[in-house]
Amino acid sequence: MGGSKMELRTELDTGKWTTKRIVSYVLLALVVVGLPIYFQSVGNMFMVRIAGVIGIYVLLSLGLNIVVGYAGLLDLGYVAFYGMGAYAGVLFGFVVQDWLRSLSFLGDKADGFTFWLMLPVAALAGAITGLALGTPVLRLRGDYLAIVTLGFGEIVRIFLTNYSKLTGGAAGLPRVGESIPAAAGQQWAIDTFSMGDFVFTKNLFWYYLIVLLCLFAVFVIRRLDDSRLGRSWVAMREDEVAAASVGISITKTKLWAFSLGAMWGGIAGVTYAYWIGFISPESFNFMESVLICCMIVLGGMGSIRGAVLGAVIIAGLPEIIRWLATLDIFSGFITPEQASLLGDYRFLIFGGLMVVMMALRPQGILPSKRRARELHPIDESIKEHEDQQIWEAEHNTNTPNHDL
Amino acid sequence: MVKSKRLFTLIAVLVLLAMVVTGCGSEDADSGDSASTSDLVEIKIGVSSPFTGDVAALGLGIKNGALLAISDSADELADLGIDLSAFAVDDAADPKTGVNAANQMISDSEVVGVVAHLNSGVSIPTSAVYNEAGIVQVSPASTNPQLTEQGFKNVFRVCTIDTVQGSYAGTFAYNELGAMTAVVLDDSTPYGEGLAAEFAKQFEAEGGEILLSEKIQLKDQDFKALVTKMEALNPDMIYFGGMYTEAGLVSRQAKEAGMTAPIMGGDGLYTQQFIEIGGDEGDYSTSVGLPLNEQPKGQDFIASFEAAYPGETIEAYDTYAYDAAMVIIEAIKAVAADMGADELTSVAGKQAIIEAVAATDYAGVTGAVSFDEKGDTLNKAITPYVVEGGAWVPVK
Amino acid sequence: MSMEIIGQQMVNGITLGGLYALIALGYTLVYGILLLINFAHSEMFMTGAYVGYFTLIGLSKIDFFTSSNVGLLLLYVLAFLAGMIVTGLLGMLTERFAYRPLRNAPRLAPLISAIGVSLFLQNAALLWISSRSIPFPILFEIRQDDIAGVNVSSMQILIVGTTILLLLVLDTFVSKTRVGKAMRAVSQDREAAGLMGVNINYIIALTFFIGPALGGAAGIFSGMYYGSIKYNMGFIPGIKSFTAAVIGGIGNLRGAMLGGFTLGMIEALAAGFISTGYKDVIAFAILILVLVFKPGGLLGESVVEKV
Repeated sequence: MGGSKMELRTELDTGKWTTKRIVSYVLLALVVVGLPIYFQSVGNMFMVRIAGVIGIYVLLSLGLNIVVGYAGLLDLGYVAFYGMGAYAGVLFGFVVQDWLRSLSFLGDKADGFTFWLMLPVAALAGAITGLALGTPVLRLRGDYLAIVTLGFGEIVRIFLTNYSKLTGGAAGLPRVGESIPAAAGQQWAIDTFSMGDFVFTKNLFWYYLIVLLCLFAVFVIRRLDDSRLGRSWVAMREDEVAAASVGISITKTKLWAFSLGAMWGGIAGVTYAYWIGFISPESFNFMESVLICCMIVLGGMGSIRGAVLGAVIIAGLPEIIRWLATLDIFSGFITPEQASLLGDYRFLIFGGLMVVMMALRPQGILPSKRRARELHPIDESIKEHEDQQIWEAEHNTNTPNHDL
Repeated sequence: MVKSKRLFTLIAVLVLLAMVVTGCGSEDADSGDSASTSDLVEIKIGVSSPFTGDVAALGLGIKNGALLAISDSADELADLGIDLSAFAVDDAADPKTGVNAANQMISDSEVVGVVAHLNSGVSIPTSAVYNEAGIVQVSPASTNPQLTEQGFKNVFRVCTIDTVQGSYAGTFAYNELGAMTAVVLDDSTPYGEGLAAEFAKQFEAEGGEILLSEKIQLKDQDFKALVTKMEALNPDMIYFGGMYTEAGLVSRQAKEAGMTAPIMGGDGLYTQQFIEIGGDEGDYSTSVGLPLNEQPKGQDFIASFEAAYPGETIEAYDTYAYDAAMVIIEAIKAVAADMGADELTSVAGKQAIIEAVAATDYAGVTGAVSFDEKGDTLNKAITPYVVEGGAWVPVK
Repeated sequence: MSMEIIGQQMVNGITLGGLYALIALGYTLVYGILLLINFAHSEMFMTGAYVGYFTLIGLSKIDFFTSSNVGLLLLYVLAFLAGMIVTGLLGMLTERFAYRPLRNAPRLAPLISAIGVSLFLQNAALLWISSRSIPFPILFEIRQDDIAGVNVSSMQILIVGTTILLLLVLDTFVSKTRVGKAMRAVSQDREAAGLMGVNINYIIALTFFIGPALGGAAGIFSGMYYGSIKYNMGFIPGIKSFTAAVIGGIGNLRGAMLGGFTLGMIEALAAGFISTGYKDVIAFAILILVLVFKPGGLLGESVVEKV
């Protein structure tokens, strides 16, 4: 791959704000901001909720993308960080809530600050869990790492279930008599933005909050991607030995990847917990990890847009299939029974689609440009041509040897 | 060229998939009776339980029971000018999917009440959604006490809570079965954990001794090591908080290893499936209400169930789902008579339905149904059953 | 703690380990050739159990099979053959349509396909067969014998014996026969093997027949051992067997066997003497420990650093 300098330049070139780019971003922003408002105004709370859920998964897939996409460490237990964030946020939140209440100047608004204080706490909890996992497995690679992370995810889930004195066990949190307080700002937003018939709901509040968190994540990850650390990840992913030989500390680079990736899992966890107001270990099972992993591979590894798109498709598609199945426009040609059947078939269809999608676009839908070039250095035709040349060259140089 | 070909393949596969799915029921596509309901007020009852996943059998039973109640009362409602249909949504026994399902149901303004959900872990987070939407929720099967402790006025259940059932089992095991020692197992679900904890508390209060408490994981099949451990302790009985699949496997593996202690559990075991998987003669379960055969409406229910679903078996919660739906239907009737059918889908109408459900006094298939101020059923009758001759029979 | 109990737990562990080993062989074979974690393998296990079930139910209506011991033996042999052949063919089909198009794709792409196949098959069984547990027909009497105070059933001996027999056959096949050598060649360097005249597609298809067929056999054993089958029965054994394959050193047949028995034993002892609720935690913790000290697994070659 001799043309890396040129590739870098093309990357920079596409970074320009062309009209087409601006228009597409504005359209996207309109959809992201406007669509939930539209759905809310027609009374479709379901799609608002789905939008929020998709947002949580976008956050998760962005986080996992750091570990798998950038650093190339296959993590099948990402849900452990998600769960740690949720549980740490809620459990520590109870303590902080009491402390806040003792501060008289906050008055009856005290509870609301819990969530905001817990955001960094959960991020830290996620990051520490990431370090706890990352440290013993530094020497492992590839599929060995995958199975260890899988085991780690299961260990966390089983602890959350069995250590019921602290975690409330299978029945989840909050226990009877406790409650997870609403975030400060929720009521304000509901009062301020509700106009006439239009009601600004709790789900909308959380949706926009999650969108903001996602934007923040995108911003941070973009900065990381272009930083020294981001380039170290790519180097390590491509060749650990070579990366070490040019002075990259593999230990540090790996641990940063684990902890920075896990941090977003923790943030997603605490956000989910305070949004729904209830958590239980069954929300943090192995299938979730697998689905998040599917999101980034489907979207295109190492690409932010890909991670977002993957999350939208995988978290949204099964539910959207279900919603479409109940729509009136389909009632002309499918009966309600068939519609409900279609809802039950959603995972079957989804599984089939994953296979078809991969067969058609194995690099993912929106692969990272940098990575795509690494994976497909040259076109097949050029490769064949080169192979031919090499073959000829080898045979040419071999000929004189026979004389010796 | 290559791209368009691939796109074509993708579309072809999608169309094929769609055909597979829609083709599965196309024979009876024309048999719907959509023509006759033109001038009636259309309302719906939401039904949500797991139609897919581990406990789909029970979830589909809930759907069967609720749909049966709706079709049984269709004529009566039509006289009041109401066309009632079901809005059935899968919750996959998963809290996240469950909350999605709840939002999907409340998004439909014609939904005036929901029969939902099976798992307590799903019912608890969804109850906040129904509460916000001002829609009545009647759970046919969520037995964890926490559900009605949240202070929501719109949440009810027709099944008995774990505290009642678990402590009944504790007393029954000590006094009636004469068990002095027991091993307590649970399946790490809110249901199983709650039940097992209540049993242990009561059993010890009566004077019994708990030799061992263990948790098992759902979907696990191998309990041989656990059985060997229990065998060495030689308990008088095994109490299992959980569902029939794992309970059946434990019972089977215990009997294979030569253990004679019976296994006992809650209503999660009270299904023929338990016996088919491995439940043995002399195993016990408790279930809410009186036996179906002894209920005044029991025979009617069995008859209409068999007519509606030939070849299917009645699952543990079918009758509760039937009663849960009936409770809502009775409330709909009362409100329709009071405020008029057109008002049913309004905010006031839905609120009136909640109030009518709270005041329920209905003779159901599972016995008399009425609620306390928290929304729990006052029908606290528990019947113990024993496996005899390959079927569950009430203990005399 | 008497010796009998320890002995009994070992027997429990070895039997469970036998099942794990049989499934792990399929994982390790496929991994050795394609470097792919075949997530759909757990569904092959499930498919085998269902095919075995339907064969047994179908054929047991014929008197010949149920009237004599020879007939009964033949019935179960046929059920195993049907289960293994159908799952083997299903494995080949999966390879042809889900994995072959991805042979030169990024490493994780086939993993996603595999998960897709797994979701598809599991939901197909759920929707088209049953969501319930189905009792598995056992038409013969299982003998229980007391060996030095330890209860051993004929089923346990059958499972462990068959597993070891199959490993020996497979090991000989891979190391001695021409086709086996070709398999090893493909697993070492696919392109070079192709240049040496090995039909790569044929070898890979064959691997995808043998691996799933073994998984299918394990599925039928599981049905016979535990007495019931369910559409999601493959999930836990799938994860555990993959763990077993990695403990032993993935890509290594004897490693899969060793890993399977090790994991089965760890689980039984952990459940028996520590806590059933935490047995998976202990199993996974030991996995992590093994890998920390031997990153290539117990019998795996140490990972060669690529330069």
